[in-house]
Amino acid sequence: MHSQTPLKYRELAAGAVKDSQLHRALGKMRDKVGRNAVNLYNQIAPGQDSRRAAKAVRSRIVDNLDVVLETLAENIRARGGQVFLADTGADAVEYCLQVARRHQVRRVVKGKSMLSEEICLNPALEAAGIETVETDLGEYIVQLKGEAPSHIIAPAIHYTRDQVGALFAEKLGEPYTDDPPSLTAMARKALREKMLTADMGISGGNTACAETGHVTIVSNEGNIRMTSTMPRVHVVLLGIEKIAATLEDHDILLRMLTRAAAGQKISTYISYVGGPRLPEEPDGPEEFHLVLVDNGRSRILADPDFREVLHCVRCGGCLNVCPVYLNIGGHSYGSPYCGPIGAVFTPLTRGIGECSHLCQGETLCGACKQVCPVDNDLPRMLSLLRAKLADGDPKWDVRPQSRAAKLAFGAWSAVMSRRGLYDALLGLARLGQRLLPRRNGWITKLPGPLGGWTRGRDFPPLAAESFGERWARRNRDGRDA
Amino acid sequence: MNPIIERVRKALGVQAGDGRERIVFAKSDDFVHCADAPVAPEERAGWMDGIRAEAKALNLQVHECPDLAACGAAIAALAAERSPEWGTLRQIMRWSDPLLDGLGLESRLPADIAVKVVPEADSFAENERQDFRREVIASYIGITTADYLLADTASIVLLGGKGRARSVSLVPSIHIAVVPAGRMVASYRRMLSALNARTLPSHATVITGPSKTADIEATLVHGAHGPREMHLFVVGAVE
Repeated sequence: MHSQTPLKYRELAAGAVKDSQLHRALGKMRDKVGRNAVNLYNQIAPGQDSRRAAKAVRSRIVDNLDVVLETLAENIRARGGQVFLADTGADAVEYCLQVARRHQVRRVVKGKSMLSEEICLNPALEAAGIETVETDLGEYIVQLKGEAPSHIIAPAIHYTRDQVGALFAEKLGEPYTDDPPSLTAMARKALREKMLTADMGISGGNTACAETGHVTIVSNEGNIRMTSTMPRVHVVLLGIEKIAATLEDHDILLRMLTRAAAGQKISTYISYVGGPRLPEEPDGPEEFHLVLVDNGRSRILADPDFREVLHCVRCGGCLNVCPVYLNIGGHSYGSPYCGPIGAVFTPLTRGIGECSHLCQGETLCGACKQVCPVDNDLPRMLSLLRAKLADGDPKWDVRPQSRAAKLAFGAWSAVMSRRGLYDALLGLARLGQRLLPRRNGWITKLPGPLGGWTRGRDFPPLAAESFGERWARRNRDGRDA
Repeated sequence: MNPIIERVRKALGVQAGDGRERIVFAKSDDFVHCADAPVAPEERAGWMDGIRAEAKALNLQVHECPDLAACGAAIAALAAERSPEWGTLRQIMRWSDPLLDGLGLESRLPADIAVKVVPEADSFAENERQDFRREVIASYIGITTADYLLADTASIVLLGGKGRARSVSLVPSIHIAVVPAGRMVASYRRMLSALNARTLPSHATVITGPSKTADIEATLVHGAHGPREMHLFVVGAVE
């Protein structure tokens, strides 16, 4: 995946906040899915507790991941499937290339997989001379456009219908239309041919059932069923943490997933794929490979402060309610995992220092925690990442971001824990603020390093009497003072 | 020993073979037994209404037939009305299943509509599989049964096996599922509980309506890459 710098993030985000077309497109996701998710959770008895129930399931699995992984691998192998545990993204890519070479694959069709974006699979396949076709409609659109997905669930959500119409007219030679059903029919026709003639299908997975030995794949379009059914070889890419232990786990997890991801009670297809076709089956792949990818996940697992992020089911629900994501769009994040979940997961896998902009760009408003189907406390982890940037942490190879910031936070902490000092400085600040420029009663420019705050917004002046002072006076002088 | 599993153990601070399987794969009594739990007749009586309501939003067309003969006649009429999406050949592919034999389609259909049946054998040679693949791709309608019909979501559950090819419910433009009313269960959870009590085959699919997408401006469109039209025929009365 392309690397991203804090500077680039600022530049892309600054452009995106002015892009009203982007905001219109993302607003639809917010209104149709984001605002609805919590109401839909409440349909599952017992209401809000379904998030806690799902969390309990995910945490039991992640806390015993070794057992679940071994059982899954054993059961898939018993049915003739092949299982590969990949240490790094590069290992996973190399494995896929080896399978493709062995079968002399010329064309790969892909079902949506954010993990394949994470490990940069498509460029490697293309470099090996293998035509690689994304078959999810949204992924197909961004692939034709030569871009990366901008949303975990709806990759092309940043495009309007007329942009898609112009793209299809240019790339598919179809007459221009901005009618979504007609555009969908064009993609249906073009991709059917690809899916029926590909030698190899590569898809992601939403979870797996270790006890029965099945990968669980959820989709609406049917492209993933095509990818897993029609080509000679099917390869599934799955993060080591995404699996489930039992069918009972699937009950709550899948019901929460489809509600959070798409506002649906259930998706069109839930496929349980347990291996290659059996001798008595006339169709299905001859070979089945499950590639379980670590790529930094076991390092997260080892840190109790961040293990919780591995509970994520990749529904994309936190994107649809995040005020930052909804303003700057997915591409600003420079990572396949954008939004609040990406702002936690990406730094932990790519480097906290290198990705400092991601946790610092979020607002800590808490909307992501409220909507998360597994009740992930993303704001807590964002704060913790910021603390690591300020204090440094050798365990995560983070050096303090700046001596000044560390000093400033140290001073802040000293002041906040000493009442007398705090009151004295408050009095000084109250005097000092008289010198600052104001508009409509608001301060328009703060001095020194604080000026960053007022570059894009005004600052409310300190009140003549603080709450603490007023409270003390009230107690002293009686209720009505 | 796999080094990644070892690393995961180290990260968790646990040992192999310490008996955690009992905790990891534990199931609640409610889950294990809910498939066998009795259903009140009033509840069962409301299931079809629930399915019809769900089906409307899903663009799934539900038909209720008193018996297989009536069902066969309705399917034949439907097939005669429709034209193929790809090409001009009118061919139907159906699962090999005694229930579907009972539809008597071969004698009810106009002469220009052929019915092919998924071949049943213990193994298939490469050329036999290629032949079957061609026939499925050439079919405009695929007919299957289903092992369960879920009342709360109008979903059907197709378990793989002999004569039950995976592509029949996927590649043709129109999918028709014929399900006896007795195969209705209350919910996804009940169905999972029932599957928990048997051996899950190598392949199983839960299908809820025709394929769809909302990838362009979050606008719902039916007919993405799977069937663009789906019919559910419920046969017989709800007991």
